[in-house]
Amino acid sequence: MNPLIFTTILMTVLLGTMIVMMSSHWLMIWIGFEMNLLAIIPILMKKYNPRTMEASTKYFLTQATASMLLMMAIIINLMHSGQWTITKVFNPTASIIMTSALAMKLGLTPFHFWVPEVTQGISLTSGLILLTWQKLAPMSILYQISPSINLNILLTMAVLSILVGGWGGLNQTQLRKIMAYSSIAHMGWMTAVLVYNPTLTMLNMLIYIMMTLTMFMLFIHSSSTTMLSLSHTWNKTPLTTTLILITLLSMGGLPPLSGFMPKWMIIQELTKNSSIILPTLMAIMALLNLYFYMRLTYSTSLTMFPSTNNMKMKWQFETKRITLLPPLIVMSSLLLPLTPMLSILD
Amino acid sequence: MMTYIVFILSVIFVVSFVGFSSKPSPIYGGLVLIVSGGVGCGIIMNFGGSFLGLMVFLIYLGGMLVVFGYTTAMATEQYPEVWVSNTTVMGVFLLGLLMEVMLVLYVLKSEEVGVVFKFSGVGDWAIYDIGDSGVFSEEIMGVAALYSYGAWVVIVTGWSLFVGVLVILEVTRGD
Repeated sequence: MNPLIFTTILMTVLLGTMIVMMSSHWLMIWIGFEMNLLAIIPILMKKYNPRTMEASTKYFLTQATASMLLMMAIIINLMHSGQWTITKVFNPTASIIMTSALAMKLGLTPFHFWVPEVTQGISLTSGLILLTWQKLAPMSILYQISPSINLNILLTMAVLSILVGGWGGLNQTQLRKIMAYSSIAHMGWMTAVLVYNPTLTMLNMLIYIMMTLTMFMLFIHSSSTTMLSLSHTWNKTPLTTTLILITLLSMGGLPPLSGFMPKWMIIQELTKNSSIILPTLMAIMALLNLYFYMRLTYSTSLTMFPSTNNMKMKWQFETKRITLLPPLIVMSSLLLPLTPMLSILD
Repeated sequence: MMTYIVFILSVIFVVSFVGFSSKPSPIYGGLVLIVSGGVGCGIIMNFGGSFLGLMVFLIYLGGMLVVFGYTTAMATEQYPEVWVSNTTVMGVFLLGLLMEVMLVLYVLKSEEVGVVFKFSGVGDWAIYDIGDSGVFSEEIMGVAALYSYGAWVVIVTGWSLFVGVLVILEVTRGD
């Protein structure tokens, strides 16, 4: 589309999230969410085929419903506390409704059904914005209302999200759906520790955004949207196969890569609060995630499947310029020794 | 009846919302939107906000809904759906109507309704005083406050509307 209009709309997406994160009046927060939703629709619909339009419509419907639930929770909060400041939510009903609304915006189970379908229907760059930037605003509101969230509901949603994110991603060969299920699982990890220590939620969000950004940029660089297409990168740019290996293992949470840091901290924080079965379950279910990352690395970096000679070549488009890929790769794999620095997130 | 006028108007409000949520053709949706806009204006006026109510009539009904009506008239089909033409639409409308009737009976019969918030009978809707200050009207002060303390809100909503136009043009452009 017209570059000026595209820039304006992209800036409005940024402005919407900024308004959500820095407002102290509930109504402004709601306005920020709506502005964000409105402006991201044409970005999701960059190509005009029925697939993208269907994905944008699904995204719009679920997010608009979530905004309506948020408005209802805001009004119930107003009725019971008489003021509009965002401190904590003063009524249990309003808190439950607000948690559900924000869970719908994030894609937590049982509201996760839109994430794979929407991510699959849009282009890789739009999917990148959807899975990273759009998670910032709801997570900041959850952070701010964390003292008054009902623990049972949030933990149930978190554990089910980790399960669904791991289990649902097992049968996928499309890379965008794999990233969508990985996003669901990571959101589950983030919200599990929200009530206990919100700083770790922010840490997990930071590391998750870096790793997802890296993965998507590697996919964009090799123009691949399926596992089959990704397994041909050894022919085009052999270096990216190693980088895909390292980043995927980091996403799976293996030490000594930086993806291990949030999982380690979260499990430690949960056991400090005398819950042992829960982190054990979460760690076991993270294995499902690790399985499909390993399958991706197996077909991409570790094996060359037998195929005819003309299947081996990928179509050589001109090389895309990917901004900031080397620093991102370094940050998403080597940050583990910097764990004590997470105190700056307080 | 005048003490319960807000309650009656709010019931008509909900019924007209059910009317367009059951998705007849947009022309008929616009028709009940006019009714709901007028009734909403009446509710606001009963709380003393004559300026805001007339604003609803002028800008919302007289500006936006007129444009909506014209564009829908250009894009309409030969046999538009009414509430009684399609079983689904009629079913949804009757269901919504039934739920509203049951709620009204619940409010009228029992002294107190405590579903999410306490609501002690129909008398809760009656207005007995307009506001604290006897000199200035509350809602005009609110409009004035919007342009002084609430300048940021004006900027943000103005920008949202502008981007809304850009987004709609971009989405309906096709290729």
